[in-house]
Amino acid sequence: MTEPRVVERFKKRTVWFHWIHTAAFLVLVVTGAILFFPGIGGAAAGGLTRFIHRIAVVFFVGVPIVYFIINPKMSFHFIKETLTWGKGDMDWAQAAPLYYFGGDEENMPPQGHVNTGQKMWQFVVLATGVLFVISGFFMWFLKDALSPGVFQWCVILHDIAFLLAFLMLLVHIYLGVIHPRMTESLRSMWDGKVSKKYARSHYGKWYDEVAEGKK
Amino acid sequence: MELSRKDFLKASAGAVGLLLLQPPTLALAKESQTQEGVAMLVDVTKCVSCWWCYAACKNYNNLPETIKPDPEQPPPLSPDVWTTLHPVKKGDGWVSRKQACNHCTDAACVEVCPTGALSYNEMGFVQYDKDKCSGCGYCVEFCPFGVPQLEGNKITGVAVMDKCTFCQDRVANGEQPACAAACPTGAIKFGKRTELVQEGRERVDALRPSNASAMLYGDKELGGLHVMYVLDDAPEVYGLPADPEVPAPVMVRDVLKWVGVGAAVAVVAGFGLNYIVAREAKMTAELPGEEYIRKRKDEKGK
Repeated sequence: MTEPRVVERFKKRTVWFHWIHTAAFLVLVVTGAILFFPGIGGAAAGGLTRFIHRIAVVFFVGVPIVYFIINPKMSFHFIKETLTWGKGDMDWAQAAPLYYFGGDEENMPPQGHVNTGQKMWQFVVLATGVLFVISGFFMWFLKDALSPGVFQWCVILHDIAFLLAFLMLLVHIYLGVIHPRMTESLRSMWDGKVSKKYARSHYGKWYDEVAEGKK
Repeated sequence: MELSRKDFLKASAGAVGLLLLQPPTLALAKESQTQEGVAMLVDVTKCVSCWWCYAACKNYNNLPETIKPDPEQPPPLSPDVWTTLHPVKKGDGWVSRKQACNHCTDAACVEVCPTGALSYNEMGFVQYDKDKCSGCGYCVEFCPFGVPQLEGNKITGVAVMDKCTFCQDRVANGEQPACAAACPTGAIKFGKRTELVQEGRERVDALRPSNASAMLYGDKELGGLHVMYVLDDAPEVYGLPADPEVPAPVMVRDVLKWVGVGAAVAVVAGFGLNYIVAREAKMTAELPGEEYIRKRKDEKGK
């Protein structure tokens, strides 16, 4: 039996989850950005985009809940992974500029299942997700009960969450789809697999664990 | 793969370009409202609580339901009530302050309106274009006087804001607003703002000897209101904030917007730079396979 040339990075359901959540978030970004960035608010006239925003948020909140129920173990692992930071992350930060610009792979310490940069993105997704949902819930359902002052700061919270998430989303898309060295990143979120070569060079620590059969 | 990446880059650059082409209409580039223009002067000492302004407003603006309201339970401002009275019990009777949009010179609602539905009219009042309203309700929550009103579907959020228009069409045709025209006692006066400020001050001077709390409200507040009040008591008594301000989050939001634009442009420019550098580095770097082939060739050459 020949050994497969690929390793699985993401399960099928994780890939599905990723893309449904992505679609919902992109709709939220577009329908929200027009109320935020100057000069394009005219697109919100009539309020249809605000209605679409509310439909999208049902998926944005609902899909993670469904995923969590189906995969409590993987979900907890994801949260733990996102919140675990250590010295290795400092080493990554030191090596990152030369790695992402110059392609210096030698000084980049071997990374786990996700590298520190991806962990930063995961953290932003989690943190802004909480900010978005709380401030959004207040503005949607508690508008009449809230004092105007609380509502106003909810708008600001929503704005700050948007800014963080939007900028990091740009970085995420760039690194996942465009960056010259991330050749299999998009593929890994498509069929869940990457070549062993890619896994070894990008996620050395994780690859060794997989190869040893720990996972 | 290479081609699709290029296409993606082009598309992204195009999208960012489109975003930048939009004229910056808010905040920094905003033209400021005139302190001049037209205004109304509401004199509470002359108001007899007849509610004619309320009726005239409803009649002229085709708003439903005109029942003579009960001062104990005055109808609050709503999308169907653009003008109402704020009755205050004094002695045996009622004294009222007409309540409607104050048409601020520094209007929080105009600042926060994302769609440009609310804007400054050159004649001095705050106008709005109902077709542009998205129903977001920011104006409702940011107005220091709680004037704009919005009733819509609580779930879908679909709604349209309404408030006093200063009878823009009447004023543009040289007429008074309907409420001012209907007022039988001269408690609501319409005219040039500069003249009304003068008149208000004179009226306060006349009241002062017998009433130390008499004051003109709105000549300085929020850059100057275009609806000013002659009061014979503290503003709070008449439901007016003593020191109205544009809420702090308005400015925070303006700053965030431009930080957002700047950061997005910087980040995308960074991608461009990174792509060029990283691609060059990748092309010049020897791949392990190539190194092997070269070595083999060298060995053969020997």
